[in-house]
Amino acid sequence: MSQKILLVEDDADTADFIAKGLDEAGFTVDRAANGRDGLFLGTDGGYACIVLDRMLPGLDGMAVLAALRGAGLETPVIILSALGSPEDRIKGLTNGCDDYLVKPFAFAELLARIRLLIRRGAPAAVAETVLRCDDLEMDLLARRVRRGERVIELQPREFRLLEFLLRHADQVVTRTMLLEGVWDYHFDPGTNVVDVHLSRLRKKIDEGEARRLLHTVRGAGYRIGAEP
Amino acid sequence: MKIWHSTTFRFAALVFLFQIVAAAVLLLGPALLLRSQSHADAVAVAETLRDDLLDAYHEGGRPALSRAIDARVSRRVERASVLLLATPDGTRLTGNLDHLPPDLPPGAPYALEKLPRSGHASPEAMLIQSVRLRDGSILVTGTVVETERQVLALLERTSMIALALSVVFAAFAAYVSTRLILNRLRASVATLRDVREGRLSRRVPADDTGDAFALLGSEVNQALDRMAALNDELKLATDALAHDLKSPLTRMRAALDRAAQHVEDPLAQPFVDQALTESERLMAIVETALSITRAEAGMGRESLADADLSELLETVAEIYAPMVEDQGRAIVVVAPAALHMRVHRQLLDQALGNLVDNTLKYGAGTITLSLVPEADGAAVIVADEGPGIAPERREQALRRFTRLDEARSGWGAGLGLSLVQAVAHLHGGTVELRDAAPGLAVRIRLVEPPPRA
Repeated sequence: MSQKILLVEDDADTADFIAKGLDEAGFTVDRAANGRDGLFLGTDGGYACIVLDRMLPGLDGMAVLAALRGAGLETPVIILSALGSPEDRIKGLTNGCDDYLVKPFAFAELLARIRLLIRRGAPAAVAETVLRCDDLEMDLLARRVRRGERVIELQPREFRLLEFLLRHADQVVTRTMLLEGVWDYHFDPGTNVVDVHLSRLRKKIDEGEARRLLHTVRGAGYRIGAEP
Repeated sequence: MKIWHSTTFRFAALVFLFQIVAAAVLLLGPALLLRSQSHADAVAVAETLRDDLLDAYHEGGRPALSRAIDARVSRRVERASVLLLATPDGTRLTGNLDHLPPDLPPGAPYALEKLPRSGHASPEAMLIQSVRLRDGSILVTGTVVETERQVLALLERTSMIALALSVVFAAFAAYVSTRLILNRLRASVATLRDVREGRLSRRVPADDTGDAFALLGSEVNQALDRMAALNDELKLATDALAHDLKSPLTRMRAALDRAAQHVEDPLAQPFVDQALTESERLMAIVETALSITRAEAGMGRESLADADLSELLETVAEIYAPMVEDQGRAIVVVAPAALHMRVHRQLLDQALGNLVDNTLKYGAGTITLSLVPEADGAAVIVADEGPGIAPERREQALRRFTRLDEARSGWGAGLGLSLVQAVAHLHGGTVELRDAAPGLAVRIRLVEPPPRA
């Protein structure tokens, strides 16, 4: 059964673009063009994630969010906003949204973040001390990484990067998600800063191996996983 | 600077000169007048005496004259009179002088002599004249002016002392008056200097005297207001442009995104990718321009939050380390173990990122991120060992949309350093470009904000 996503967006073009993309990604999308409808559908529950535009006619996005949270709804909410200032982002995050994406955004970025939120919403396993992906094994307590029998020496920054990737194994992780997740750095340096980190990490993990684990997802970001 | 050409100096000299001249006229004038007046008086008295005696001589010859002289001397009617009758060869006949003064040719004008009179202990100053009578004998008449001389001498001495004092007073007056002018000018000068150094909101304090200095101050303020208004208009235009660009860019971005997902032709792929990259770049420019405007307007002060600046520097260094190492360079952090301060984390991250990015593009050698605690905050310095920026071009480098080298192309459209400056201003600080000998050191001063109310 495909997961349901509620999209609350008043701009028809943007809504079409997002809905089409989510549909292609295998989600079922319900659409609302204003805050009131969005709140009505949202309280119904059953959604894996709500994509909420911030500036809506009638009831504005932040009010919808407040009402949803007030009703005790835990559905993950990702806010889309044309307001790009850090202040707006901080305000959104403190008011109960789970992620905040500034327009314009790449669809791949939105998709990756939605998937991350849905995964996070799933009941988490007990605190793991060993992360695995195929024959790659990361011992968080001993701070040791092995691929099969081979011990991989990582710098602290590479260790944290790999840890983030392994915690989101088989998911697409975008460059900005990496910057935010690993370093809490909320600025896209724009240059290929992240790519250089990843290419170094890939060299240590995949070089000389028959199967590659660290994949580049064109136009989106990276994914670690056994599947090519 | 030639001191003689300085208006301040000339003004001081003029005040000094006029003070001295006025004092000299006031002090010496009366003394001179008094001197000539006392001289004229003495001469008049002496002449009357002489004329009286000559009358006696004409009426009764030498005996009558002799008697008249004796009478005047013995009666001591005229205490100040000097009389002497001598034979043609100069032998004293009668009178109150002991002998005929040697250097007194008959008929000469009144001469000032210092001679003793008979019956007086000390010589006295006197104005005397001699005339030769018809029979050849010589008559000397005159007036003692000793007292007047002494008074005049005293007056002269005190005048000289007063004049010496007036030099001191004149110097003081010159100093005070130039000080007064300089002090009145200082407010305007200080304001202009502050504005030049970037404190654009400074104005000359209000002055209701209505004089030339108040006028100058108000004109300076009006010029600064006009400048600020033009500045605001420019910012507003940039802001509006950025806002207006955002919507079409968003739609373009979405369209390109979909095109990228659906493009089948491998030949078209790189072009779509390039278009996406360029649209991202365009968005980054617009976002940065808006960030600068917001930061310069002081928006975002409410989101200053406590952060460890040392950790912040380490993070930036860590993020950029692989890129720096790929260039065969190093990035080091020189900072205390921890330094907590309330800052705008995201903007500061962006500012430091821009600076490291700049040195990656244009600099060379080791990149040093240093953190220096200061009394009222901290300074963050990003330095490299590259060619640096010439001193005369540093101010230009901080301006928006300016590139020092037109051939350079990069991500930020020349907004990098302007953003750094805007972020510094948001934190109540400044940006300085310095020579790191060799290399460029960009010093961002951050001032600890007052505790939140």
